[in-house]
Amino acid sequence: MNDGDVEVFLSLVERHRRYLYNLALRITGNEQDAKDVVQDSLLNAFVHLQEFERRADLRTWLNRILVNCALDHLRARRRRPDLNDPQPIADVADTVASSLPDPERLAVSADCHRQVSEVMNTMSPLERVTFALRHFEGRSINEIAQTLGIGNNAAKQHIFRAVRKIRLALETLGSGR
Amino acid sequence: MSHLSDDDLVLHYYGEDGARMVAVERHLRSCAQCSRGYEELARTLNAVTPPELVEPADDTLEIRRLIRDRMSGRVSPRVSGLTGLEQEAGVIALVWLVLLAYPWALQALFSSGRWAQDHVAFVPLVVLTLIWACAGPFVAVFAVNRMAADRGRERASTRVLVAGALLAAISPALFLLVSRMNAILSLNLGMWSWYGVVALGSLVSLVRWPSTFRSTARFSLVHRLSALVLTVFVLGHVINQALAFVSVPAYTAMRSVMRAASHQPAIYTLIVAAVAIQIVTGAAIGMKNVRAGAVARNLQAVSGWYLAAFLLIHVLSGLFASQPQAAAATTARAVNELNLLASPRAAAALPFLLLGVAAFLFHVGVYARLAALAYLAEASVRRLSYAGAFVGTTVVVTVGLALFGIHLVL
Repeated sequence: MNDGDVEVFLSLVERHRRYLYNLALRITGNEQDAKDVVQDSLLNAFVHLQEFERRADLRTWLNRILVNCALDHLRARRRRPDLNDPQPIADVADTVASSLPDPERLAVSADCHRQVSEVMNTMSPLERVTFALRHFEGRSINEIAQTLGIGNNAAKQHIFRAVRKIRLALETLGSGR
Repeated sequence: MSHLSDDDLVLHYYGEDGARMVAVERHLRSCAQCSRGYEELARTLNAVTPPELVEPADDTLEIRRLIRDRMSGRVSPRVSGLTGLEQEAGVIALVWLVLLAYPWALQALFSSGRWAQDHVAFVPLVVLTLIWACAGPFVAVFAVNRMAADRGRERASTRVLVAGALLAAISPALFLLVSRMNAILSLNLGMWSWYGVVALGSLVSLVRWPSTFRSTARFSLVHRLSALVLTVFVLGHVINQALAFVSVPAYTAMRSVMRAASHQPAIYTLIVAAVAIQIVTGAAIGMKNVRAGAVARNLQAVSGWYLAAFLLIHVLSGLFASQPQAAAATTARAVNELNLLASPRAAAALPFLLLGVAAFLFHVGVYARLAALAYLAEASVRRLSYAGAFVGTTVVVTVGLALFGIHLVL
């Protein structure tokens, strides 16, 4: 491969970069990790570009590479707990606090925000990835299982466990008030 | 319809309950308890929303640099692995050191065993040297768990690490194979044949490997079916080896029955075919599955590598037995008589057999754990895993004691 190939590749992936970055952000929960995952994914994609030529959809192919890179990244991050980023994974809408006056609602919302971030950090990498893909991205369980190379039942169980952890955290928060 | 479980409600929330969707919805309309549970779930999950879409910073220059570095063979610090270049170098050095030092571990095991027979104070030394001799597979799991994210094994350092881990994992079996081939071919190369094999392994790791199968899913069914056949035989052997600790006569009787059965042409062919399928499919699955941080997968792969080497040697043992080699006959006698400290050569069978039992238990145990996770709650699986680990450790220790010549009934 030469420099021209690099430029062609970069121009091809440029139109998907925003999508990939946001997907990585939803899975990893912080900007630096998302940036690293996207870079690793694009590097992997470039190295395996010949494999893509047999496929039809670039975004689907890049998506699969990115999800698996993110999973590797989360696993590596888990081994280094000092690097678990406390940044929020998800914005918690005001649903929980909607009935409360503004200052209190903001406080509850911030609590939820922090609680969801914390509980996402306690999830196993597979729980986190499957939950993010199902809940934030709206992917079907079948699609998630195929992307990760796991069984449908396994994917379901990871999602169930993730949901249980979320419920436990948020319902504890609700009952504490 | 009976009450809906939490998992049913989650599936319904995500619209993943397929054909049951209408029935579940109808039930939710008629059952106040389930309806309340669903509302609580929906309220909680509705509260968890994704971050706003953001515009990423333009890092095209950085990506271009990473790709050019890769093309020119240079490795950027971050891509070299999340654990850092020095750590990767350290892990590579460790796996190859384990390989190079393996003959010394056997010598130390044999010597300390001899001293322990004279004086009980040397028993801890025997345990330490046994741990050293059995370290290969564990170091291999440690190493692959820390390898950089390089799925295609594109980087030479990844290949050196994976090849070193593979050889370290199978070192007890490989050492036995090399020393037997050395004897059969009358090469008289001594330790040089071992170091020659290690050097060959390092050379293979330097050349680019052919790309692995994109998906190994099609092998899984064949792998599991052949594993089922082998499990029956291997489990019989493991039980028999553990029985040797309790009673030598019972062990000998059971071994005779099992040998007579396995020497039947049809059964022998079935075993050899199952071993061949295991090795071929296991090699494809195992090489693809190892990756940083995936402890269960790595344990499964490394124990699979060892089992493949272990089974191969067992199948080839018929060939070795047919050779009129005094040394091989002495080793076979020592194994049969459960006196593996009879000679340094016989001592090599000690880590080989012990790790064979441990690899089998790990391989089946990790598979069972991963399969159970699809059906049981994590806490239940964890409890079952602890129970399994306790039973497995007891079996390995029992077999180890028997191999050291310690029996309740002689």
